[in-house]
Amino acid sequence: MPHDGQGQRPDMSPILPDLAALTDAALPVAGSVLEQARAALGGRVTENGRLSPDLLEREQDAAHGLAWLATYVEALRQLRAWAGRLQQGGAFGEAEQLILQIGFGEYLSQIAGGIPMWQAEFFRLRDLGIAAPELGSGAAGILMAGGNTPAARHRLLELVRARAGHATPGDCGLDAELDMIREQFRRYATDRIVPDAHDWHLSDALIPMEIIGELAEMGVFGLTIPEEYGGLGLSKASMCVVSEELSRGYIGVGSLGTRSEIAAELILCGGTDEQKATWLPRLASGETLPTAVFTEPNTGSDLGSLRTRAVRDAQGGWQVTGSKTWITHAARAQLMTLLARTDPASDDYRGLSMFLAEKRPGTAAEPFPDPGLTGGEIGVLGYRGMKEYELGFDGFRVAADNLLGGVEGRGFKQLMETFESARIQTAARAIGVAQSALDVSLQYAIDRRQFGKPLIAFPRVAGKLAMMVVELMIARQLTYHSAWEKDSGHRCDLEAGMAKLLAARVAWACADNGLQIHGGNGFALEYPISRLLCDARILNIFEGAGEIQAQVIARRLLA
Amino acid sequence: MKILVPVKRVIDYNVKVRVKADGSGVDLANVKMSMNPFDEIAVEEAIRLKEKGVATEVVVVSIGVKQAQETLRTALAMGADRAILVEAADDVHTDIEPLAVAKILAKIVGEEQPQLVIAGKQAIDNDMNATGQMLSALLGWSQATFASELSVEGDAATVTREVDGGLQTIKVRLPAIVTVDLRLNEPRYASLPNIMKAKKKPLDVKTAADLGVDVAPRLTVVKTAEPAARAAGEMVGSVDELVAKLKEKGLV
Repeated sequence: MPHDGQGQRPDMSPILPDLAALTDAALPVAGSVLEQARAALGGRVTENGRLSPDLLEREQDAAHGLAWLATYVEALRQLRAWAGRLQQGGAFGEAEQLILQIGFGEYLSQIAGGIPMWQAEFFRLRDLGIAAPELGSGAAGILMAGGNTPAARHRLLELVRARAGHATPGDCGLDAELDMIREQFRRYATDRIVPDAHDWHLSDALIPMEIIGELAEMGVFGLTIPEEYGGLGLSKASMCVVSEELSRGYIGVGSLGTRSEIAAELILCGGTDEQKATWLPRLASGETLPTAVFTEPNTGSDLGSLRTRAVRDAQGGWQVTGSKTWITHAARAQLMTLLARTDPASDDYRGLSMFLAEKRPGTAAEPFPDPGLTGGEIGVLGYRGMKEYELGFDGFRVAADNLLGGVEGRGFKQLMETFESARIQTAARAIGVAQSALDVSLQYAIDRRQFGKPLIAFPRVAGKLAMMVVELMIARQLTYHSAWEKDSGHRCDLEAGMAKLLAARVAWACADNGLQIHGGNGFALEYPISRLLCDARILNIFEGAGEIQAQVIARRLLA
Repeated sequence: MKILVPVKRVIDYNVKVRVKADGSGVDLANVKMSMNPFDEIAVEEAIRLKEKGVATEVVVVSIGVKQAQETLRTALAMGADRAILVEAADDVHTDIEPLAVAKILAKIVGEEQPQLVIAGKQAIDNDMNATGQMLSALLGWSQATFASELSVEGDAATVTREVDGGLQTIKVRLPAIVTVDLRLNEPRYASLPNIMKAKKKPLDVKTAADLGVDVAPRLTVVKTAEPAARAAGEMVGSVDELVAKLKEKGLV
């Protein structure tokens, strides 16, 4: 029986001998480099045994570099764990071995040589006075020298092409149920979303209600809501797979569930029993579409300083006044999870409260029909399909029962509790966009001929595609890991932040590289890769911008 | 009424098929496999009949390698009630011939006593288009092939068949075999709640030997070949030249 890879002389294989042992041995080396970096920076930012905000800001580049370094080390751990699971299940094929090898070779080399925190901002160990000679020798040295070679990338891409038809390039190592979920949602997206996504984007249209109805029927909005509240009680890992596949069709569709997920988490963590019983079943069925109303014109990442005010009125309810912006899907939504200041004397997060503010869904002619609520659309590069709005509140009324948890001043804390889930879900959306960029670019590279051969025959085109495959798997494993941590009830803000940080960069890299492969055609609005580039761009901004994410991770590591 | 639906695990319809170097067959190593699309239509139709209250139970059966369990789970997630796997091969490259499949299905029909068997008209891997007809002959049941519409009233099924140049509507007495064509319905996507339920639905495993059926091949594959590569095109300068070329080739 001919197998892929058979017929090749063993000495021709680009796979390093003892790959599993090499990667095992390299992990503690990477871990010790991280510890050295943490210790070196810790000394610079600590004052009287406590982390000093001023010193941390002075050392921001190094601190964010530490966050990236930790993200890389965790990514390698999770990639190795994935390979181990495949090995146990007898599914560690040649493609998966090459992904492991190239991933280790490349990420170790970047740790040693410089991690791109951004296009022109590199973190180098020497910035912290670390030489890390151990990276250049032993297992890590072998992986760095021979892991990510042109031959390895070339062979990986051959294998990925031979696997065409499989949902993912390389076995993700998930269980049969998750594979079936992926299969069904991939089919749904291919049939119902992909044919129209580009038109929705180009015409800046709302995603049709018909699609939202179909997603509701398939259970998308109640995915992680417990069964007692009308949901399915499924894992965050299944949320990842569903979000990935829907976002692979169109980021707007993959993001419909984000607001439901945030609203449900808010109510589950902070709501009263009555609020849970009232709202969760409606969110789960998709009958109520929520929207997240947090950001203000002058407060984005610095939410604690927001100024929209909610004041008690004579009937015991609330009157909301202020401006909000970047409110996604606002016109259609029936429920706003609204963060506002209830303690006028406060000027930080302690005076904020969260409301479950009901509103009427609007129409094209009258997008915001409620008294005291106005809105205007914000034109955007990408991430369309739900539309972005700025909202003006002028005495907008919220019923007395709709203060989340029934107690004032908890809003910020309640919101923080949703960050883990929202970041995991956003990482999954990034993976979907990245996968879509790989899908269209691989096909383009096969179809498009120049100089008498398909683009894919050129090493730098093939190399780009191979690196997309590798980084996609790394981002996937880091994301699944954070989802499993969440499912096990562990605190996972660190893991979720790392997953989001890395997945957003991978999505941008895939979209940008994919567009490059398309050449001039990629610059034409007609080609879907032009949309993917616009859609990928938001991932590094929303749900914690790349810099904020690195800051949060760094603070956790140094505290 | 119970409905039996046979489903086959075949190479996914999106996959570009690779012929083995020695021409002995198709390379299935690492190739994505899925439910035969015609069988999906059959499963969908059976589930719809159950939803209409015509059928009481939908049983799906697959014959082949143990990985066909995944195919059966998909059918269960779509809404079938119960599954039977008949393990009849160890190697994914072994194709069980239609006669052996029909004999196994006849045994299953004997055990399950369905009133209706709904099957795909053919499998997209080897396009035999024979199993349903053979099963009908083995059982002595009515058959209605290439169905594009199906309704069941009392002890009869009315089936519109897609035939060359048009449609033919026939009525067959139950029990019957119906094989389905592409335009009968559009199969549903399994929803998340149904995927979860599918885990708990029963899936029995038998072997061909349990049923006393010999699956040894009776046919010999002489050769498998890729379709001929498309010949290079020719650029023409004008409509007149195009017409002249077409005439030259005897095409107009």
